[in-house]
Amino acid sequence: MDETVAEFFKRTILKIPMTEMMTILKAWDFLSEKQLQNVNFRQRKESLVQDLVLLCEKKRASVHDAALLDIVYTQFHRHRKVWDVFQMSKGPGEDIDLFDMEQFKSSFKKILQRALKNVMVSFRDAEENAVWIRIAWGTQYRKPNQYKPVYVVYYSQTPYAFTSSCPLRSNIPLLGQALTVASNHHKIVKMDLRSRYLDSLKAIVFKQYNQTFETYNSTTPLQEKSLELDIHMDSRIIHENRIEKERVQRVTQETFGDYSQPRLEFAQYKLETKFKSDFNGDILAERKEPLRCLIKFSSPHLLEALKSLAPAGIADAPLSPLLTCIPNKGMNYFKIKDK
Amino acid sequence: RAGILIPVVRVLAHLERLEIQVNRSHKNLEDPQRAQAVEHALRTKIHKLRCLRDELRSKVKRRQARVRASIANEEPDQTQEISEQEVAERRQENVKAILQAYRFTGLSGKLTSRGVCVCISTAFEGNLLDSYFIDLVLQKPLWIHHHSIPIFIPLEEISAKYLQTNIQRFLFCLCEYLNAYAGRKYQADRLQSDFAAYLARPLQRNPLCNLLSFTYKVELRGQFLFCARLLYKDLTTTLPTDVTITYPEMDALPPSWEEQRASHENLFFTKPLHQVFTSFARKGEKLDVTQV
Repeated sequence: MDETVAEFFKRTILKIPMTEMMTILKAWDFLSEKQLQNVNFRQRKESLVQDLVLLCEKKRASVHDAALLDIVYTQFHRHRKVWDVFQMSKGPGEDIDLFDMEQFKSSFKKILQRALKNVMVSFRDAEENAVWIRIAWGTQYRKPNQYKPVYVVYYSQTPYAFTSSCPLRSNIPLLGQALTVASNHHKIVKMDLRSRYLDSLKAIVFKQYNQTFETYNSTTPLQEKSLELDIHMDSRIIHENRIEKERVQRVTQETFGDYSQPRLEFAQYKLETKFKSDFNGDILAERKEPLRCLIKFSSPHLLEALKSLAPAGIADAPLSPLLTCIPNKGMNYFKIKDK
Repeated sequence: RAGILIPVVRVLAHLERLEIQVNRSHKNLEDPQRAQAVEHALRTKIHKLRCLRDELRSKVKRRQARVRASIANEEPDQTQEISEQEVAERRQENVKAILQAYRFTGLSGKLTSRGVCVCISTAFEGNLLDSYFIDLVLQKPLWIHHHSIPIFIPLEEISAKYLQTNIQRFLFCLCEYLNAYAGRKYQADRLQSDFAAYLARPLQRNPLCNLLSFTYKVELRGQFLFCARLLYKDLTTTLPTDVTITYPEMDALPPSWEEQRASHENLFFTKPLHQVFTSFARKGEKLDVTQV
């Protein structure tokens, strides 16, 4: 086995936490059950990695097999990457989408390989008709760099693709072109949506985050609200402003629903508006140029945090539509200019 | 002379009777007091009978009243209320069950605080398949609050065409697409699960199930492989619009094979996928029997 390939294997396997080693190796499906059983998983990690690399060597594993292992690892640790969302569109009056996965893969690969000399493309099919694509970029004179790959997750017969941030920004247009042409689309546009949580991004763009529907068949009563439970908890506690609290609860429920919110870590607002002030003679108010300012809201779970603002008494209800429109518009990057 | 005698005898008998009658009436006239006494006795008897009749009548009336009162006294209002409540509950359950059963019509809905939540229940060949929901907000303009329609169904296209102008057409169009998708998916699932033995390689399919590609085994004096590629260009149908069957080894085949190939192509055009394979299975069974 080539030195570089062995190194690639070593570094990829080293990344895997010991607790997940067996699961990930099984998912990779390259080493058989029998072979895995013969490995001592209780030894020190460095020794285990050495044993595994030797095993791969014996089985004549290639750089492509290593790339597949890297994909599996990334699938298990998808939150370690920051994902961008791209939306494609078809031209007017285009034919029905007869998507053929094999054709897509071969077309995608060909487009990249025709444009760049040294590029390695790997595919792994995933659940729900998605395909994970790993691209390792090289240059004219250098072999592909396996340590800075780009991942693309494409959901077939949809206009959406998710990409991990690309270190070589110059390759992004080519990537977009390959995706668009291979999937029979016409145009591709980067959405103003970014997060570590791939599944939440998918829920937002596919509009799948609210899946509760009113039917005659539903057995769960819709009207249970936690606030009412709190009020009845202890009769010694008197709730002032009960009416207002109930109003806030109702407005929050109307805006955010009863479902769990998709997970985002931030919302960013780039303001290019003139400063508005109530004070007369304020220096800033006299400026003719717009004031540039960036406001960023961060949270381990932004939308749940926003949902709890009004009930906690920190903000008025209803919240600003700039905050509540995030899942609906599929944006968490905003540019606000004066009209 | 006998003919004249009989009428004469009759007349004589009649006269005799009349005489007796007259004598009787004369007797009464001769004894008016006795007649009066009889009359009086009769009158008294009538009076007595009338009194008895009235008494019995009033007795019956009293008894009826007592019975009615006793029924009324057994807490009459409460029993009526309970039965009314039971009736109301039973009626409500009945209505609810009917509303739930509307699902089976394929298109049903429930009013919400802001509009209506429509449920499209798909079916194919009498099998009830998945249900999909659209929550509509009844405002001007009409808009979709949220839904569970798969992303690859062209909902935006259909909404753009019909939602504002003809909501019925919008729903029917969506029903068409969803039912066709459910039907194609059902066929593909059945092929994968029930006829896996006939497939040389796993079935290739896409999310809309409008492109199916598979290699299947054909028994005809040996085992051969046919590659089939089915395209469903019309998303509102469950039968393919294009069928191509090829053989992996193109050159070395007898002309009888061309017949088989053409007949298979025709089968795929006209019958649902799993039914085609069912007929293959049946033919195969027949062959086995004849070989035995």
